[in-house]
Formats: sequence, structure tokens, C-alpha cells
Amino acid sequence: MPVKRFTLLVTLICLAHGAWALPAAAQGNDTLTIYSGRNESLIGPLLDQFVEETGIEVEVLYGGTSAVANQILTEGENSPADVFIAQDGGALGALAAAGMLSALPEEVLNLVVDSAFVSPDGVWAGLSGRARVLVYSPEGLDDTGLELPDSILDLSGEEWRGIVGWAPTNASFVSNVTAMRVLLGDSETAAWLAAMIANDVQSYPKNTPIVQAVIDGEIVAGLVNHYYLFRFLAEDPEITATLHFFPDGDPGSLINVAGAAILNSSDQPELALQFVEYMLSDSAQAYFAAKTYEYPLVATVEPSVDLPSLEEIESPEINLSDLDDLQETLEMIEDSGALD
Amino acid sequence: MELSLYTENLTKLYNGDTPAVEDVSLQLQSGEFLTILGPSGGGKTTTLRLLAGFERPSSGLIQIGDAIVADDSRFTPPEKRRVGMVFQDYALFPHLNVAQNIAFGLSGHSKDSRMQVQRMLSLVGLTPFADRMPHELSGGQQQRVALARALAPNPDILLLDEPFSNLDTGLRAQVRSDVRNILLETETSAVFVTHDQNEALSLSDEIAVIFEGKLLQVATPHIIYNRPINSQVAHFIGEANFLPGEAQGLTAASPIGTVKLFHPKRGPVQLMIRPEALRVNFAQEGLAASVLWREFYGHYQRLGLTLEDGTELVAHTGVDRFFQRGDKTWVSLALPALAFD
Amino acid sequence: MHLSQIVPPQFRLHRPRYSAISRMHFGNRQLAQVVSLIVVAIVMIPIAFVIIRALGAGQEGIDYLLKARNLRIVGNSLALMLVATICASVIGIPYAWLTSRSDLPWRRAWLVLGLLAMVIPSYLTAVTFTEAFGPKGMLQDLLEPLGVERLPNIKGFFGATLTLTVVTFPYILLPARAALLHSDRSLEEAGQSLGLDRWQVFRRVTLPQLRPALTAGMLMTALYCLSDFGAVAVMRFNAFTRAIFVQTESFRMDKASALALVLIGLTLILLLIHSHIQHRGRHYRIGTGASRELQTMSLGVWRFPALLFCFCVVFVSVAVPLLVLLSWLIGRTISNPVQVPISLLLQNTVPVSAAAALVVTMAALPLALLAMRKESRTNRWLVNLAYTGNVLPGIVIALALVFFASQNMLSLYQTLPLLIVGYAIRYLPFGISATQSAFEQINPRYEEAARSLGLSAREALIRITVPLARGGILAGSALVFLNVMKELPTTLILRPIGFRTFATHIWSAYDEAFLSSIALPGFALIVVSAFALAIILRREDTAH
Repeated sequence: MPVKRFTLLVTLICLAHGAWALPAAAQGNDTLTIYSGRNESLIGPLLDQFVEETGIEVEVLYGGTSAVANQILTEGENSPADVFIAQDGGALGALAAAGMLSALPEEVLNLVVDSAFVSPDGVWAGLSGRARVLVYSPEGLDDTGLELPDSILDLSGEEWRGIVGWAPTNASFVSNVTAMRVLLGDSETAAWLAAMIANDVQSYPKNTPIVQAVIDGEIVAGLVNHYYLFRFLAEDPEITATLHFFPDGDPGSLINVAGAAILNSSDQPELALQFVEYMLSDSAQAYFAAKTYEYPLVATVEPSVDLPSLEEIESPEINLSDLDDLQETLEMIEDSGALD
Repeated sequence: MELSLYTENLTKLYNGDTPAVEDVSLQLQSGEFLTILGPSGGGKTTTLRLLAGFERPSSGLIQIGDAIVADDSRFTPPEKRRVGMVFQDYALFPHLNVAQNIAFGLSGHSKDSRMQVQRMLSLVGLTPFADRMPHELSGGQQQRVALARALAPNPDILLLDEPFSNLDTGLRAQVRSDVRNILLETETSAVFVTHDQNEALSLSDEIAVIFEGKLLQVATPHIIYNRPINSQVAHFIGEANFLPGEAQGLTAASPIGTVKLFHPKRGPVQLMIRPEALRVNFAQEGLAASVLWREFYGHYQRLGLTLEDGTELVAHTGVDRFFQRGDKTWVSLALPALAFD
Repeated sequence: MHLSQIVPPQFRLHRPRYSAISRMHFGNRQLAQVVSLIVVAIVMIPIAFVIIRALGAGQEGIDYLLKARNLRIVGNSLALMLVATICASVIGIPYAWLTSRSDLPWRRAWLVLGLLAMVIPSYLTAVTFTEAFGPKGMLQDLLEPLGVERLPNIKGFFGATLTLTVVTFPYILLPARAALLHSDRSLEEAGQSLGLDRWQVFRRVTLPQLRPALTAGMLMTALYCLSDFGAVAVMRFNAFTRAIFVQTESFRMDKASALALVLIGLTLILLLIHSHIQHRGRHYRIGTGASRELQTMSLGVWRFPALLFCFCVVFVSVAVPLLVLLSWLIGRTISNPVQVPISLLLQNTVPVSAAAALVVTMAALPLALLAMRKESRTNRWLVNLAYTGNVLPGIVIALALVFFASQNMLSLYQTLPLLIVGYAIRYLPFGISATQSAFEQINPRYEEAARSLGLSAREALIRITVPLARGGILAGSALVFLNVMKELPTTLILRPIGFRTFATHIWSAYDEAFLSSIALPGFALIVVSAFALAIILRREDTAH
């Protein structure tokens, strides 16, 4: 009977297939479980390098930073995760607020070049830095006769109507708006958001399409993280698009971090700590510099591309741990109509 | 004689209260042929399905052969009842060929079962068609396969649900007598459901008339036709003239004069007179009538007559005289009339 | 027999040919009920999760829902659903007629090409549309010589509607075509003999006959639009699924759940409206089968506009996505450092999808058996509850299972069996309806005949009913397979660590804009889906 045959076939395929083993049960003593909110393309090769150098086996779950944080929050005490790697401080803050992270030792936190890039209660450490910038097309600027703005707030001016891009749901953008709220206050931030929307700001799902849109001439400028442009440049050095860092401590030039934390519920805290230490080693930091074009966060490694140094950027004075008030910001962005 | 089927106060309620079948008590002698006759939607198919075990009775008892298959505490599923069933649309399994269909109810692939299939094929005259698929057969052939399939496991009783209704009129009479002969040959007791009175009258040893779920009368075809128990049965079986009358013992006064009765009655009655009980006379005998219409059937004619007082009657008469519309004639009663309350 | 086998009963195209009352002995009732109870209990996990979480929001949740912005989400979703459904019908009905009843050249090819739109995941269609029709997209490139500097932005309502229209019109096309093939030709002849011209015959005779099929197809399209995430996410249209997603992104499960409850409510209202319409339209005799050979109508000079119409539909819905994928494949884009061989993705995706299809089919069997017994209210409720699974967004189902498994069955967590349970919850209705409709097409006398020949209920089910319903059940499995292959949100969260499917790989590549590594798995996904589609189509054709 063909139905039976079909059943048999599927059963055989399933049995023959390795992934049917139960991973939780199969997990050996030396296996570290990492939940990564950073994309595999960014961090996968570095994890391979870690495995190769330390001999510690890892299992990595990849997903969006918020989705993975949600998953850990939902799993609670039973989370299989030992380490959480996040794209931004906000998600780390959410887990810290839920009391799910364990404190990192002082000497690890001290590896990070600036205390602004670790959590004040010492439960997470920044691994790499990313600066918020304005990516723009010089040709577009020439065509419109515009000057580079001194502040992110200037982008709501009439002269920028319809030619600026942002990614309102992107976590880095949300952090940036949170920073604006901290620095400028809620009402001014909300007013800016409303003015931007009234100014026909173009919305994108994430940073890369904004850079692409600037390169394609779809828009003249866009609010992004600094490193996306270098990926395009690596493929095509002819690209003329350039970065602009807002001066004078403008909230538009916030420096945020991607970070890592160890979960309370980890059954491999030593391995987890070893992992975090490795991520702050020179070789890992050099990887971030060379491969993701991010800022290394240890004193001994320099950025690999033509970037102003961290000290040169006139970034705003802000405590990144203040940026965990994600919900209020999202509500404000939502209320502004940016998501409609 | 041995009973092959017995039911007692068989009742089936749908949706809690509407009775589809109510208090039906039947019995069937071994080797006999019982017909359940009634109008569409009258409960006869439900009765058959209760016998087969496709429906669970709300109350009552069913005994097949020696075994009680359903009562208040017991219910034997259809597969344990040793009942064969021929469905109205035959229900031949479309994915099996003729031989496989017939072999379906036989256990295993033993030599016995192969021989039984051969026996059945030759019984129904379909030996050359063993490998055909059901859709490659004509209606009459499908009918015979259905019969062979139902008979193959030697059931205690065979149930047939309107088995001839899907056949052409020409074919129907032939298949009917074939089935009758096969059942006689295999000495199978059978219950068969129809709404066709001619089928019922010609095939059955006994007829059970069911009307609105109730069993009105069980009797031989002869009695059902000639002595219907009430006007409902009389209406349903054959053609009849109904006249009002006033009974006084074995006679009754009526629009056609004083008529004799089969049974003594008193008071106002309804008189039933079969068309063939009326004699149409050449000479002046009986009541004067004129011919309203005439239908010619070869071996008899059917006449619509009107009496002088306006009473209309239907009469059957021979073909020795050719009537025309408007002809004057006389009618008299050849047989006693039946009187109903 | 036709799409009715792969359409949930609420969407059922045809009145069941055989009444439920005559199926008192269909299978073993107690066993079917027990198994159904277990299946429904599993299906209820996400709903229970949503209710618990939404209750957690309390008054704050109610206030939140009543915010003007959230009321606007309801309006957005309804508008999107209505407009996309109407557009899909406006395309799907003539397309169905042309490919079934006219003498259009290459009818068969047009049919297959049109249906291919169904196998392209909505997020892929949406992404390729933004590439093709964006302000500075490929279309603008072509129009540049004509002086078109930039096209209007397609994102938002227009883009979401366009995407959903092209991915859902096959859900109108299939049932409409099946109904056209089965419609009673003599009724049309009667109309002609009464002096109606061709158009009047179509409007007054043919179209009303299609009504049950069309309302069913339209309901399916409407539900698809309500529950779709890919199109609204890429097109940034703030419909329910996107709003729920945004809430989960900001760790507000309670508010996401409150929104999900409203979505469930909307869906139930839609189902009620549909069953009301279906009930009213009962007198139409569709699906009783035309005894006569269907005649095709000559198009005459209309042949050329008809060809142009089919070409345009196929071009936008199938050719544009494929061409964009092709351009990514050969174009110079940033190369992905994570190279995953297609064979590995194939090896992961196909067995897990096949297993999910099998599980759905098995789980659907007892429920379909119960659905055939209309006599019990309990049974009806069990079956209806089983349907609620697929209205919830995948991420909600996934997080509910995360919650359940990580608290109670840790050994099952992050294993393929749990992932398959997630798939099964989402696509169970497809299985139930396919199996139920396949059963309903079978003359119940077959099973009774088998019973009277000495088979038990279970034996009769196995030897008669299942073999006869095989084609319909298989078509339903193929549809589940097709949907599981492209499923993203549940897969992302419930997959075992390190397990990649076509969908997760495409998502990961899109997330970091590695366009060329979207293309290859995209093509592979479409090719494999096309095989599943072929099973559905073959079933359609052998039935005639």
C-alpha cells in the first residue's frame, strides 16, 4: 500500500538523519551553548577560531537579538544557554533586569578600554563598538547643494525632506533614540521623531538597505552604524559614499556596543568565562577590527579601516546601562507613527 | 419451521425524539423472501440498516438465526452478524476487480475461497468478467457482482436495499427474476426493501408495509392485495376505488347501490373496490355509466367511468370489446367490497 | 477530487456528497476521540499561553488595545485583507476560467506557471518586489530613458497588497478552476436557451454556481492575509502580525498576546461570517459532477488580450521574483562568509518537512473521522479547536512551545520532534480538511459493505476508506509539506541548535544583505516545492 510505503520511506529518512538525536541529552560536559543575537556571518568564523584554539566544543543558536533574548526569558531557569551574545546593550539590559545574568570578574571587566562599555553592575561586557553615523552620498550632497549637518536634529529641516533614511525597528536605532531621550528629554525627542516623519523620512527594515539606498541614489543620507559601509567598500572600492560623525557630543554620534553575558543558569560557568575572556583577547579583537570593521574595545588592538579613533569621536557622555529602557523608547517610536 | 429473522418492537429515534422506525415486529422463515414496502422516507431503509447493524436501535430486539444481535444490553457490530447486504448503488469497491470484490468477505487466499469465488461467478453468470473493474461493467452486471459478493460468505440472511431501482425498466424484470432464481437456488433468506409495489407483489413470500415508521401489515402478497388491513395499505398497494358507504352487517349501502362485504361492519364506512372487481357489461346489467377515458394495455383496458349521479370509478376489463370515449355501458360488482372505518 | 481536499472544512467548496448521518460506524469512535483529545490538547498550548500572558497585562493591556494606534492596526489589517482578497479574486477567477473553459493556447502551462506563485514564500516575493519596483529599482532602470527619475515608494499598503495578491491568487484559482470543471454545463445551456448571451450566462448562471468555491477560496485568502508576516514585515505595513512581532522584539509578551487575542477574535468572526454565507448558499449543487463532457469556449479575437493577461500575471507573480533572484545570483554583491551547501539544506529541510506532513496527516485522521460524525457537539468543538492553531503568528506558537517544553519537557526542547510539533500545530487544519474532504467523497456504502462482509470498523477503515481516500490525503500532505518548507518564525526558534533549513538560511542571508546567498537556496526551495505542487495537480487531474 503506497501510504505505508511513504510512511516507511519517511521513517527511514528520519532515522538515517543525524539531527534526530536529542541534542540536550547528547550534550557532553565540555560543550558550551551559545545563544547568539549576532548573525552567523559576523561571528561564526570567530567561534570556529575559538573552538580550534581552545578545544572547547560549542553549540550556537542564531537568531535576532530580541528574539533570542525573548527565548531566554521564556526558558527561564531551564535555559540551555550558557552565554548570550547580543547585538546591543538593550537586550543585555533586559536580561540583566530579569536577574538572569551572573557577575563577571573584575579582571575581565578591566580588559575593556572604557568603563562606559561594560554594565555598571558588571553582568555584561562589551566586545566590540559601533558608532552611529550619517552615511551620505557626496554626489547627492552636491546635487542638492546641502551642507553636512552639525546635529542629528538638523535632519528634520525642510532641506532634507524625503531624502533621509532610517530603520525605526532596528535595535541600534532604538538605542540611539533612547540616548536622545536621556540627553535631550522625552518631549524634545518625541518632537524630533514627529518632525522627521513629517519630513517624509524613508523607513528601511535595517541598516544595510539604507547604505544600499544611499549608494543607489535612492536617498542622499541615512542613519546607520558605521561598519556597514566598509562591507560595501570591501566588495567595490569605487563606492563614493562616506561617513559623517556628528560633532560636539551630539546624540547622533552615540557609541554602542555588542556584548556578551553569562547566564545564571549556566551549567558551564568556567567555560563560559573562558569564552568571554577569549572574546576580549587580542586575536578575537583583531577579528572584529578586520572582519566586522567594528571598534576593538581593548587597548592593544587598533581599528583596521580608515576610522577616527574612539577618542576622536565626539560622542555624547552617556552611560550605556541607561539605554536599557527600551520599552519606553519603542512606545515613543510607535506613538510617533514611525511604524505605520 | 426455523426462523431466520425475528424483531420485536424495533424502534429508532433520531435527534432524541423523532421516530424513524417505531415498534416494528417482523419474522422471517428460513429460506423465505420478505419485502419491506413503503413510500420513500417511510423508515424502510432505516429498518434494513438496523437489521444490518449500521444503526443502533433505540429500543427493541433483533434476532438473526439463533443469535440476538441487538437488544437493550447487547449490540453486535455488522461484521459479526453474518448478514449479506446488496446496496442500492451496489457499492462495488472501485479499486478492486470483480473477483477481488467477490472474494472480499472470504477469509484469506485459500483454495476454498478461490473455489467459492468461481462458484459465485458462475452462479451469477459472470465467469468471463472476473478480471474486469467495476466501472467496466453494465448496471445489470454490477448488480450481479454485488449479489455474488454478498452471497459469497454464505450469510444467514441477505438484505437488499432497493436493488433494482438503478436499472432500466427493460432490464429490471430480467434481473429481478435472475435474483429470485439465485436466491432460491442458494436457499437464502432475504429481506428486501422497495417502494415499487409490483416488485414487492411479484417477488415476495411475505410483504411488510411500513408507513411513517410504523408497520401497518405483514402478510402474503395475495392477502396484502386482496385484504389490506386499512385504507392506507389499500391506497399504497395496487389501484382502488374508494366510496363512502353505510354498512349493515355483510352489506353496505353505497353510491353504486347495495354491495356485499367481506367482513361484517356497521355504521359509516369507506368501501374499497379494486378496478378488476368491477364488471363492465355489454347488456343492461347493473348501473348505467358512460366512458370518460380509456387506456389500452394490450391484455386489458383501463376505463374511467362516470355514473349518473356523478360518481367516478376506474375499472379494468378485457380487450374483447373496444370502448371509446362517451360510450354508454353498465357496471356491476363481481366481488365483495372491503369496508374500512 | 479537487481543492476541497486541501481546504479546511470551514472553507469547504462543496457540500459533502454523502451525509454525515450515514456514517455512524466510521472507524472506532472511542479511539478517535481519545487521540483527538490528545491532539487538540497539544494544539491548545499556544492559545493557553496567549491567554495567560494577555491576562498578565490586565487593565494595562486593555488600555493598550484601546489606544488609537492599535485600533488603527485593526483597520490596517482589515483593509489589507479586503483589498488583497478582492484583487486576488479579480485575477484568480478569470485566470481559472481561461485555464479551464476557454480555448486559450497552452492552457496547462499557464495553469502550472500561475500556481508556481504559491510556492514562493511571501517574504521572498516581497523582498524581490522591493528590488524590482522600488523607487530606484529595476523597473525604474528600464524606465530611465523615458525620463522617469524615481518611482513612488511601493512600501506600505500598496506593496503589502501587491505581494499578498500575487501569492494568494492561486488559492482562488485552484478552487475556482475545480468548481468550473465540475459545474453543471446543462445549466449554462438552459441559460443560453432562455436567451442570455455569453456574458450574461457567466454572470447569472456560472458565477452563482461558483459561489461556494469562491467564498471558500476567498476566506482562505483572507486568513492568509491576516496571518502572513513576511509581506507586511518587508513592506513595513503595520498589520497585526507585524505589530505583534514588534511587541515581542521589545520583550512585551503580554502586549503581544493581547494583540494576538484580538487577531484570534477577528479570525473567529471571519469564520462565522463564512459559515453563515456557506449555509445560505447551500442550494447550489456544485460538486455533484457534470455528466457531460465540458466544452471549451472559443475566445476568438479575445485570445490575444487573454494571453496578455496571463502573461502579465505570471510575469509579476513568478517571473519577477525569479529574475531578481537570478540577478542576485550573477550580480556582484557582498559574499557571505557562511557558505552552506545546498545539499545540506536540502537534506535538512526535506525530511523534516516530510515528517511534519506525515505527522499532520496522522494527527488529522482521528479528527477527520470525528468531523464526519456531526451528531455530537463535543466532536464539533474538538474539531473547531483543532483549527485555531494556524491563526496565531508563528513566533507566538514557537514561544509558547519554548515555554512549555523548557519548563516541562526539557529533554524534548530544541529537538526535531518539538519543531515538528510546532509545524503540526500550524498546519493541522490543512491535514484535517484534506482527509475529511477525501473521506466525504467516498461513498459510505463501501465501508458498510465491508462491514457486512465481516470486517471490523478499523479493518474497513484500513482496507477500504484509506486506500480510496489516498489521493486526497496525499494532496493534503503535499500542501503541508509545501508550507512547512518555507516556514520561518517557528523554525528559527524551535530548531535544534545548528539546524538549518532553506528558510532559516535565506533569512540569515537577508538579515545581513548577502543577496547572492539568498538566490541559490531560493531557487532550490522553489524547485522542491514545485514537486509537491505536481503531486497536488496530478491528484486534481486523475480525479477527472
